[in-house]
Amino acid sequence: MSLLGLTFTSPLILFSLLSLPLIWWLLRLTPPRPKQEVFPPTPILEEIGQREETPAQSPWWLTLLRLLMAALVIGALAEPVWNAQDKSITGTGPVLIVLDNGWAAGPNWQERAATAEKLLSQAADDSRPTALIFSTDGAKADVTTVRAQQLLEVVKAAQPQPLPVDYTALAERIRESSVGFDTLVWLSSGLAHAGADEFVEAIDGLNIPQIVYYAPATNNLQVLTQINNAPEALVARVERPDIEGSNTGTATAFDQKGRSIASSSFEFTGEDRAAEIRFVLPVELRNEITRIAIDNNGQAGAVQLLDERFRRRRVGLVSGGKADQAQPLLSPLYYISRALNPFSEVREARDANVAQAVPQLIEENVSTMVLADIGTLPDATLEQLEKWVDSGGMLVRFAGPRLASAPDDTLVPVELRRGGRSLGGTLTWGTPQPLTKFEVNSPFEGITVPEDVEVTRQVLAEPDIDLIEKTWASLADGTPLVTASQRGQGWIVLFHVTADASWSNLPLSGVFVDMLRRIVAVSNGAIAADKTRSTTAASAGPAVEEETESVALPPLSMIDGFGSLTAPATTVRPLQIGAQSTIQISADNPPGTYGTSDAYVAINLFSEPADLSLIDSAKLPASTQKGSYQTESDFELKSWLLAAAILLLALDCLAVLWMAGALRRIPQFAAVLLVGGLTIAVAVAIPLHRAQAQESTGAAAPAAAIDFEDTLRTRLAYVITGDAQLDSLSKKGLTGLTNFIASRTSLEPGQPVGVDISKDELAFYPLLYWPITTMGTVPDDKTMARVDAFMKSGGSVLFDTRDQLQGGFGSRRISSETQRLREILLSLDIPPLEPVPDDHVLTRAFYLLSVFPGRYLEGKLWVETSEAREADAVDRPTRQGDGVSSILITSNDMAGAWAIEADGSASLPVVPPNPTQRTYAYRTGVNIVMYTLTGNYKSDQVHIPALLERLGQ
Amino acid sequence: MALTIGSAVPSETGTSVLARARERASLIPDLLIEAQRIANTVTNGWHGRRRRGNGDTFWQFRPYDQGESMTRIDWRRSARDDSVYVRDQEWEAAHTVWIWADSSPSMLFKSEAAQVSKQSRALVLALAMTEILAKSGERVGWPGITNALSSRVAAERIAAELMVATPDDDLAFPPLANIRRRSELIVISDFLEPIDTTLGRINEAAEQGIHGSLIHVVDPAEERFPYSGRTEFTDPESGNKLTFGRAETLADEYATLFKARRDALAQQCKRLGWNYIVHHSDNLASTALVALHVRLSGEALS
Repeated sequence: MSLLGLTFTSPLILFSLLSLPLIWWLLRLTPPRPKQEVFPPTPILEEIGQREETPAQSPWWLTLLRLLMAALVIGALAEPVWNAQDKSITGTGPVLIVLDNGWAAGPNWQERAATAEKLLSQAADDSRPTALIFSTDGAKADVTTVRAQQLLEVVKAAQPQPLPVDYTALAERIRESSVGFDTLVWLSSGLAHAGADEFVEAIDGLNIPQIVYYAPATNNLQVLTQINNAPEALVARVERPDIEGSNTGTATAFDQKGRSIASSSFEFTGEDRAAEIRFVLPVELRNEITRIAIDNNGQAGAVQLLDERFRRRRVGLVSGGKADQAQPLLSPLYYISRALNPFSEVREARDANVAQAVPQLIEENVSTMVLADIGTLPDATLEQLEKWVDSGGMLVRFAGPRLASAPDDTLVPVELRRGGRSLGGTLTWGTPQPLTKFEVNSPFEGITVPEDVEVTRQVLAEPDIDLIEKTWASLADGTPLVTASQRGQGWIVLFHVTADASWSNLPLSGVFVDMLRRIVAVSNGAIAADKTRSTTAASAGPAVEEETESVALPPLSMIDGFGSLTAPATTVRPLQIGAQSTIQISADNPPGTYGTSDAYVAINLFSEPADLSLIDSAKLPASTQKGSYQTESDFELKSWLLAAAILLLALDCLAVLWMAGALRRIPQFAAVLLVGGLTIAVAVAIPLHRAQAQESTGAAAPAAAIDFEDTLRTRLAYVITGDAQLDSLSKKGLTGLTNFIASRTSLEPGQPVGVDISKDELAFYPLLYWPITTMGTVPDDKTMARVDAFMKSGGSVLFDTRDQLQGGFGSRRISSETQRLREILLSLDIPPLEPVPDDHVLTRAFYLLSVFPGRYLEGKLWVETSEAREADAVDRPTRQGDGVSSILITSNDMAGAWAIEADGSASLPVVPPNPTQRTYAYRTGVNIVMYTLTGNYKSDQVHIPALLERLGQ
Repeated sequence: MALTIGSAVPSETGTSVLARARERASLIPDLLIEAQRIANTVTNGWHGRRRRGNGDTFWQFRPYDQGESMTRIDWRRSARDDSVYVRDQEWEAAHTVWIWADSSPSMLFKSEAAQVSKQSRALVLALAMTEILAKSGERVGWPGITNALSSRVAAERIAAELMVATPDDDLAFPPLANIRRRSELIVISDFLEPIDTTLGRINEAAEQGIHGSLIHVVDPAEERFPYSGRTEFTDPESGNKLTFGRAETLADEYATLFKARRDALAQQCKRLGWNYIVHHSDNLASTALVALHVRLSGEALS
C-alpha cells in the first residue's frame, strides 16, 4: 500500500487507528489527580454536599498528546517506508538484466548500479537464475544464467565505459540464447544507441512475460561532437538527444596541464538538437587547448580531446635567395616569417642547400612549407616534396625571377607562362594592378580587400578551363594572384608574386598576414612524424589514413565513464595505426590520447555529428513496464515513529508532573544555573579579551611606524657594529654628510639610522655604511645572506676598514681590520674589484673628483670591475656601464672625516691636517650617495650634446 | 502559575506584626470613643472628654448654683464682678476596650489573590487598633491574655504577651469573664464557626452589657470561589477532605451560602447596635482601621 511515497509494510495494522476515538473517550473518562486545595470555608461546601462526582476532563492538549502517541505507535507498527521501491520483478523463471554502461551512463551511474543491485538481490531472494549483460559488451555478452549473488559482485565492480553502445550484437546474442527468460530488465540510458531498434525487435520477438524498461532523465545530457579550429574561434558542436532538455550550458577549455583556459556558453534554439559553442581566443591560446568539456555533465560524451590536428602549424621556410642575408629587409623570408610568427611555429631551413633543407623540414614535421622563389628542385627533393604533399602537406610557393625562368615545374597549381610580366614600368603598357577580389569559396573569403595593394610584376597562368576554380585571389584585370590546387591529401598554393616587396607591396600589407593565416589554417593536420608516423588525414576524425607500415601508439591518457581524464587502464592496448582502415573505438582502444606527450593522437567518442535521439518508448513491446531509477534509497520510518512516540511519552510524564506541582522549583534552579554560568563565562572572557587586545596593540605599533617612516624618506644608514664609540662616530659622520648633502644638493635625506643587519629590514636604504672593527664576531651566515640579498636587490654597501695608516685595503700589508673584512666578505658573492678608474662614474657623479679621501688621504676606493673596458674603446669621457657597484671599499675612515659634533664643529682632525681634505671627503660622500641613487645617469648625461646634435636641434 | 489557589501559611507572632501594625496605626488619628458610650467610671484617663467632670484641666466658669459646695466657688473669678462663679474641670476618663483576634487554624489561610494570611491581617488590625487606642489614653486589653492596660505602650505589651501565651485553638470567641459592663469589645475573626454558635456568643456578650464591634476578615478566594476542575478541598480546622469533580459548578451555591452567613451576622449586629465590618485581606489594613475608627468615634475622619 503506497500513499504519497509512503509505503506500509503491514497496512492492516492501520485499522487499529479506528480505536483512537475509543482511546479518546477513555482518556476523557479517567480523571486527573484532583487539585489539592486548602479551603477554610469547607464546612460551607459540606453544606452543599457531595454531588455530581463526574470527573472533569483532562486538559485537551494532554488528551491530544496521548492520542498522538497512540497514533504514532500504531503507525510505527504498520512499518511505513518512505520512497519504497515496489518489487519490480515478478515470476520465477530466469531473469535477464541488460545494463547500459555506455558513455552516457556517467551522470546517473550510482542510481543505475543501485537499481541493478536491488533487482539482483530480488532475484537472489527468489532464487532465480540470472543473466547480466552490459551494453558495451557487444558480441562478448554472456547470456548464460548464473546465481544472482555472483552478479552482485560484478555490478558493484562495474563502471561506466566511455564507449559507444551497439545493441546490434546484443540483439543477436539474445536471439541466439536458448534460455527462456521470464523477466527482462533493460536499464537503459534512454538514448537510441546504434541497433536499439533491432534490440527492441529482438526482445519483442522473444515473448518474455515481463519486460521492465528503465530510462533516466536525459534533459541535461549534452555531448560535444565536432571541433573545428575556425580562423576566428575554436568552434565545437554541441548536441543533445532530448529537445525538451535544458537549452543552455557552458563548456570549459583546458590546457595540457589541466588548467582551464576559457569558458564559453552555448544555447540551443527551439527544438534544435545541435548548437555551437565558440571559444573566441587568440590563436596562441587556442593552440594550448587540449581538452574541452561541458561543465557539470559527468559523462564521456561531453569531452573532446584535441591533438596536433587542432594545434598551430609548424611552417618550414625555404628560400632561393642567398643564404647570407646581410640586409634582412631584402630577404623574402623576412616578411613571411614576420607574418607567420604570431600564429604558427616557423622553422627556417638550416641549410642553404634546398636538397638538404627540404628533407630536414619534412623531418621536423612541418605541416606547411613555404618555398620562396625556388625554381628548380633536384629530382630527389622533388620526389620527397611530392610525396609529402600527397600525404597532406601544404606547399606554399612564391614566384620570383627563378620560378619565372624555371623550366617545367610540376609543383605548381596551374600551368605558368614563362617569363612573367611587368606592369607600370617604363617599357610596359599596363599600370600596376590592385588586388580586387578574394574568391568566395577560397580560404580568403571574408578578408577585406585592401585598396593600397599594387602588383607591378607577376607570373601569369596559362589560361585553363579550371583556372577560375583554382584561383583564390585575383587582380583587377582578372589575372590570378593566388592559385591553389589539391594534390593527394595536400595542397599546393602559389602566390604569383614574390615574397619580398620587389614585385608588389602585398608582403608589406596587413592582408598578407591574414592570407597566410588562412592558408596555414587550411593545412589541417600534422604530417607524418618519423617517430610516431601518426599520419592523420586532412579531415578531422579518428579515421586514420592507411599507410603501408603499421605503428602502435601507446595509450597516454583516457577519458573515463564520467568524462574526466585518467591514466590509462592496464587493459587498454596500444593504438594500431595503419593496420586497419579506421580506428574502431572499443574496450581495447577507448577514447583518449595515444602516443607520447609530445606527439599524440586524440581519439574522441564523437568526431562527427552524433545525431542523438531518444528511445521511443512507444516502440517497446506493449506489455513493457516502466521503472524509474531510484533516486534515493528507501527510508524506513518505523524506528523514527517509535522514537517520536517515546519522546511524546516523556513529554506526557513531564506534563503530568508539572500539573501535580513537582516542577515548581526547577525553573528557578535552572535560571540560577544559567545566570551563574553566563556570569562566569563573561567574567572569564573579558579579562582574556583585554589581555589579548593589550598584547596586540603593544607589540605591532612601534615597528610599523618606524618602517613606514623609513619608506617615506631617503636615509643614510650605518651598520651597528656593537662598538659604542664607533657606532656613535658613524652616526655623527652620517649626520655630517646628511647636512652637507642637504645644503649642497637637491637631495634632503632624513636622519641617518643605525641598522642591526641581523634583524632590521634593509630594503629601505640605498647605501649602508659599514665600518669594520675587530671587536665582536663575524656576522653569521644567515645575516650575511641578508646582506647578500640586500646587495643583489640593488643596495650598496660602503665598507670602511679605517686602516689606511696601517696599510689599508688593497695594499700588501694586511691589518687586522682588513683581515676581518676578508672574513666578512668570505660568505658574500663578491664580483671582481678594482680601484675606481679615472673614467668611473664615481668621479663625476656630482663633483669632479680624482681622489676619494676621508680622514686619511692615501687609501683607494675599490668598486666592482666594470666589464668591456677594452671593447668599449671609443673615446668617451665616462665609462659606459649599467648598474651600481653593490660594494664599495675604502680604508680612509670616511665617517671620521664627515663626523660633526652637535655644534657643527668637526669631531676628529684629518690626517694630514689639511682643511681642504675634509671638504673633499664630503664631496666624496656626496658622489658616493649620488652614485648609489642615480647609477649611470651621469655617464649618460655626458652624451647629451651629442644626442642633441643628432636630433638636429 | 501557582498550583493551588489558596494555601495554609505559618502563624505570625505578635511582635513580628507589631511594626506593620504601628505603621498602619500611624496613619490613623487619635481615637476617642464616643462619649455617650463611655461609662462614667472613676477610672481616670488623661484625655478630655469635652464635658464637665472629674479631671485636672480647666473646662469652664459657670454661675454658682444654690446648694453647691461653697468650696467649689472660684473666688478670684467671682471677685471681678457681682456674680459668684464656680470653676469646672473637664472630665478626663478612660474607656476600656477589649480587642481579640481569632487565631484558629482556619485563619492561617492565604490565597494567591491576597498578600497576607487572614491571621496576619487580623493581628495587624488588632495591634494597630491597640496602638491607636493606647495613644488616646484608653485602657486596652486582650481577653484571656491580659487585663485592661492603661499604657501608651499597651500594644507592645500585648504583642509580647501574645508571644508567650499558648493560643487556645478551640477558642472561636473571646472569653467574656473579665469584661465588665459597658466595655467595648472588638472581635476580629473569619467567623467560620457554625453560625448559630457565633450568634449565641454575641447574644451572650450583649446581655452582659458589652458593646461590640465585629471585623469579619475574608480572604478573596473565600468570597469569589475561583476554583474549577477536579478539586479536593481540605478543612484546615477539622482536616476533613471534600472532593468535587467540577468545582466551578459549586460557585453560585457557595456564594449564596456565604452571603447568607454574612447577612445573618450583620443582622444580629444591627439588632444589638454592634458594629459589623467586613474586611477582605486583599484590601489594605487601613480600610478596616478607618471604618472601625469612624464607627467608634461616631464621626467621620476629616
